[in-house]
Formats: sequence, C-alpha cells, structure tokens
Amino acid sequence: MIKSNNVVAMLLAGGQGSRLKLLTQEIAKPAVCFGGKYRIIDFTLSNATNSGIGNIGILTQYKPFELNAHIGIGECWDFDRITGGLRILPPFMRGTKGDWYTGTANAIYQNIEYIDSLDAKYVLVLSADHIYKMDYRKLLKYHMEKDADVTIATIEVPWREAYKFGILNVDSDNKIVEFDEKPKNPRNNMASMGIYIFNWDILKYYLKKDDKNRRSEHDFGKNVLPMMLNEGNKMYAWVFKGYWKDVGTIRSYWEANMDLLDKNSGLNLYDKDWRIYTRTKHLPPQYIGKNSVVRDSLINEGCTIEGEVNNSVVFSGATVEEGAVVNGSIIFSNAVIKKGTVLNKAIVLENTIVQPNKRICKEYEDDICLIEQGSVSIEQEEALYA
Amino acid sequence: MLEECLGVISFEDIGNEFGVLCRNKPVYMLPFAGRYRLVDFTLSNMINHGLHTIAVFTGSKIRSILNHLGDGKPWDLNRKTRGLSIFPPLFDDVKRRSCDIYQYHTTEEFFVGSKAKYVFIANPNILSKVNLTEVFEYFLDTGADITVVYKKQNNGKDEYINADTLIIDDSGRFVNIGINLGSKPVFNLFMHMILIKKEVFLEIIRAGMETGENIYFKQAVANYKNMYNINSYEFKGHVEYIRGIKSYYNANMNLLNKEIFNELFLEGGTVLTRSEDEPSTFYDTKSRVRNSLIANGCIIEGRVENSILFREVKIGKDAEVKNSILMQGAVIKENAVLINTILEKYVTVEEGINIIGIEGNPYTV
Repeated sequence: MIKSNNVVAMLLAGGQGSRLKLLTQEIAKPAVCFGGKYRIIDFTLSNATNSGIGNIGILTQYKPFELNAHIGIGECWDFDRITGGLRILPPFMRGTKGDWYTGTANAIYQNIEYIDSLDAKYVLVLSADHIYKMDYRKLLKYHMEKDADVTIATIEVPWREAYKFGILNVDSDNKIVEFDEKPKNPRNNMASMGIYIFNWDILKYYLKKDDKNRRSEHDFGKNVLPMMLNEGNKMYAWVFKGYWKDVGTIRSYWEANMDLLDKNSGLNLYDKDWRIYTRTKHLPPQYIGKNSVVRDSLINEGCTIEGEVNNSVVFSGATVEEGAVVNGSIIFSNAVIKKGTVLNKAIVLENTIVQPNKRICKEYEDDICLIEQGSVSIEQEEALYA
Repeated sequence: MLEECLGVISFEDIGNEFGVLCRNKPVYMLPFAGRYRLVDFTLSNMINHGLHTIAVFTGSKIRSILNHLGDGKPWDLNRKTRGLSIFPPLFDDVKRRSCDIYQYHTTEEFFVGSKAKYVFIANPNILSKVNLTEVFEYFLDTGADITVVYKKQNNGKDEYINADTLIIDDSGRFVNIGINLGSKPVFNLFMHMILIKKEVFLEIIRAGMETGENIYFKQAVANYKNMYNINSYEFKGHVEYIRGIKSYYNANMNLLNKEIFNELFLEGGTVLTRSEDEPSTFYDTKSRVRNSLIANGCIIEGRVENSILFREVKIGKDAEVKNSILMQGAVIKENAVLINTILEKYVTVEEGINIIGIEGNPYTV
C-alpha cells in the first residue's frame, strides 16, 4: 500500500535530550544506547523499514558524530536503496546565510525542497525519542479512510498522568476538536505520541505561513497543529494500542530498560516478524562463568559474567567479575565491574571501570545513580566519590 | 604488503566423517562457537591481515556457502575492485576431477589477470589466528619461493591420526608431506597454509596438469621441491583441526577455556560473520547457567552447564542441558534432559524427553 515515493518520512533526531544528563553529554539523544544492544533511534528506524517506508530523511543537529556513524547510509535497516532510501539532513547554508533548526516545524520547513523533489503525497513526521513498535501503514490507512488533512497517533495514558502530555479532545468520530497541552484538569486521556501524518500540499502551505509568524516557536505541537485546527482542517486522532515509552528522563529511561525484563510489558524483542535492527559490533558470544548467577536479565554479545547479575540489562563486551553483584542496573558497553563490588539501581556508562569492593547506591534505594569513570552522580544532586 | 597477495580458500573434502551434520553442507560451513561458521576464521584472518582479494573454492555442496558469503559484505569484501570471488566446480567436474590442481587450472585467468605477486592458500577446516603479516615477512626475508606453515604437536598418538605431517630438515627446509599414523607423540602438523610466489604457483599448476602426476597441490609441491626454495614457518598458537565429530565437539568445548577463547576471539583481529540481528539473550528467574558460551537471541529458563548455545535457542523450565552443543533455533522443552549431545539447527526436544550421549563421544541429533 505504501508506495516508496508516496510517503516520505521525516525523523526528528536533532534534540539534545538534556534531561538525560550524562547520557547525552557527548551524543544526541537518539544515539543513546538502549536495551542491551540498541540505540534509541533503532526502534523508529526499524518501525519505518518494517512498515515499508522507502524514503526517510533524518534531521540532525545536536552533536551528530556518533549518530551519523551509527546510521551511515542506513544499510542496517535496509535503507541503502537505488531509488529513495535514507538521507541525513543537517541544517545548511543558503546563499550567504543559513539557520539552525529552530523548532520541529522549522526543521521540516527548511527541507521543503527535499520533500518536493521526492514528489511526496504524504509526509510522516516521526521523533526518535520513544521506545515502541508501530506499523505506520495502519496510521496511513486510517488517514486515507478518514480523508483527513492531518492524523495524529495517540495513546491512552493513565488519567493521573494525563497532565504531563499533550492531550487531544475529540468528538465521537475521533475528529480532533481541541488541543490541550499539559492540562491541569484533563478532559480526555488521549495523548499525542508526536507522530503525525500530513497531506504534503497542506502541510507545506502551513509551514510557510508559520515561518512568517515572528512570534511562533515553529513547533508542531505548540504552533502549527493548533493553527491548522483553528483554520478548519480535518484532523483526526488514531489510537495506538501497544507498548510506548518516552525515554526523556533518567528515570523513564531506566524504567523502559527494566520493562524489557518483564514478559508482560507488551514489547517483545524476540518477534521475528518485527525485528529491531541495529549496527552490529561483531563480537563473540557471551561467557557465563562457573560460579555465576544470572537471573531476570538481558546479556549481550561479548560479555563475560563471572559474578551475579539480577534484574539488569548488560550491553556488549561488559565484564562482571567474580563476587561482584549487579542488581537492577544498566551496564553499558565494555564497562568492567570489579571483584566484590555491589551495584544497586545504577547506570554504568561506557568503558567505565568500577573499582573493587565498593558498595554503590545502597544508601539511595529509590534513586538511580549514574556512574562514569571517576565519579558517581545520584539522580539530581551530584555527589562525588573519591 | 599483503595487498599484493591473493587469498585462496580451498579444502580437501572429508565430509563423510560428520554424518548428518554435513549431509547438505561442506565441513567448512559447520556452525562453530555459537554464531560462526568454520570458514569465518580463515576468511577473517585474511581480512585482518590486509588481504583484499579472496577466492573461495567451494567444492560441490555450494548452497550454504553461497547463502553465507553473499556479496562478501560482512567481511568488507563487497568491493568494486578486488573483493570476493566464488568458484564452484563446473557442472562436469563432479564426475571428473574435483581435486584442487584441476580447480586452480580451470580458474587460471583469475590468477593471471590479477596484479598480485603472491598467493596464500589456506584450508578453512583448520582454525587458528596465525599472524599472516609475520609469515609474509618471514617469506620475504628468507627469499623463499614457497613457505609452508606447521605447528609442533605433542599429542600425535591420540589425536591427529591420518593428518598431514610436515617433514623438514634441521634448517627448516621442506622435505616432504607425510601422514601421521600415531607412531610418535611429537609431530609437525601441516596446517595446510602455503604462501607462494604467483609465478611459481602457476608453473606448478601447469606442470601438474601437463604431466598428470599430481592431483593435489600439496603433492605437486613435494614433487617439485628440488626446483624451488621451500621453507617452513612454525606457528606456536592454538590450532583446531576439524576432522570429525569428535574433533568438532572438542574444538567447541575448548572455547570454555579462557585462554583459548581469548586467543581465537580477542587477539589478532575480530572474527567476522553474517549478523542476524538477534536481541540480547534473556535469563529467566529460575535459569541456572554455568561455564557456558551463549549466543544472542536465546531465552533460558532452565539449567545449562558446560555447553555452547547458538543463536535463538530456547531452554524451557526445569530442562537440563549439560556438555552439549545446541545449534541455532534448537528448542528444549520443559523437563527435558540433554547430556553429551550435538543438536542440529531447529531441532525440538519435547517435554520430558531425555537424550544422553556417551562422554567423549557425543550423540548427534
């Protein structure tokens, strides 16, 4: 149903994700590792390729080196095509001046020529901040059935959390009647997932109109979508059912990793019909030692586990030495947990060597501590270990 | 420097000793170490030492190797110039001659057409991390026409019966290639690695074909030894020669030894293979895994000890796996027991079934 030149996907991957603190110190949020072997962006890229999207533009801006290296020409997601495929779209110069992407809508606005050159009929706007599996074909089908101008993917969130989201108020046909951004008293619990499908000619008209408005922040949620609604466009909400998690903060990032250890979370990585793809590191299998205990955990290639690992996600090439105990933690690639050290609810960054016989995070049972070489920071207050 | 060298992967067909494991595939395509094929080691070692033009002589069972190699991308061999060449036998060869001299003769254009000055031939059934750069330097420094690689073994009485042994004089000059019949414990295992000047290689092929005296290249080398300067290079690292089910099983189990594992995987370059994008392996609450090598994509709920698990293996609750090799996609259901067994790809062991092989002589399913 999706013809490769019919739908053009635009993936917003330029954000810093400053609430992820140390994790995004050196890399863009979409490039942050997740789930033992992936990076956050892999979920959206894999959804796109599994949905038969043939054209995808990736809008990058913040510290893009690792992200660019990871994406390459997109061959890991089968996006190295003769026609179409994947393009990385950084901000660029026009004549003597150029601009950074100043908002989500502005990023698309600056690439109007790119989308035009592909002869797009529909534009699918995606963000690389979420962990989920979605068949975008279902969204497109709904959009076409409703003969809509814009369709927004939504998910039902718990009522008590609705105040954190952009809530859509709809009529009985799911036609959007009002946007309610982070409402104090929500009247609905359908939250926008930041996934939109537009008819390109209409979107183009409003992007140009928005660009002329100096007071606009050039953001889809704040500016462009409300303007389109005010001017009477047909906008529908499509309801997604399934696992979806925003990994914008350290806590939600940690929780999303832990969700992978729960068989009932709704996110199944082992489904061969909807594989999540990533760039492979060519490592040998993992070795589990003679006295080790591994329970309720995900362990990746190249790891050596001689100690005890419970309820944790361990990335490629990491080592847990004998007598070390890792509980409820996330260990990034090539980190080493030395003998006799006990970790609780920790995130250990790449290549960090955690010294032997330490007890880390015991005193902060609810908090998550971030460990990098030489220092430990406890969630928000920084505490330095000698 | 090694860019001036052609890599040739070629083997002697000894497939019959493997029973069901090699019914449809050559020995060098046997799965190994949880996610590799034997051939990956020879291929990766060549790549890691800078050989960029590689020819694979496939032998007659070509389906699996074609599928595995593809355009050579996992080994960075999908190049516009150089890269990978695959030479299956001609259709008529199956009835005629499948020996290596004949194969090289019928692909002579490949060798003549290349600008390379040297040829390096290796047998993919022999796994090692020979430092090819060092071999090449030795070859050049000694001004040899041919350098052959061997390993001094001290278990010739029990293992390596019928393996080729390299006979050399005190100065390391090539004397002959014989067969180890187990009369002495110490012998020089010929590792089936030959580094040779291309013009000498072509001369030997032509002479071998014209005289009809030789069907194997190694025989020809021995026959023409007086015409060339042939010396030897001693390799001192770990070698696995996969010659039958027993050596195949032992080679896998040896990987549970940290030193051997490190030598084969962590030192002297990465071993490359085709990736299958499995997620990490999940260990359930009641799993108990000890001293085992586990590939990605497995789901383990039961007990595993001293075993090698390939990708996507599932071990059910209270199942027990010991001293076994489980190939890709094998499923062990609840309460099943598997000891001293090699399980082929996608085999399912039903609930409560026990399969127990004899120690040191694994049962193959």
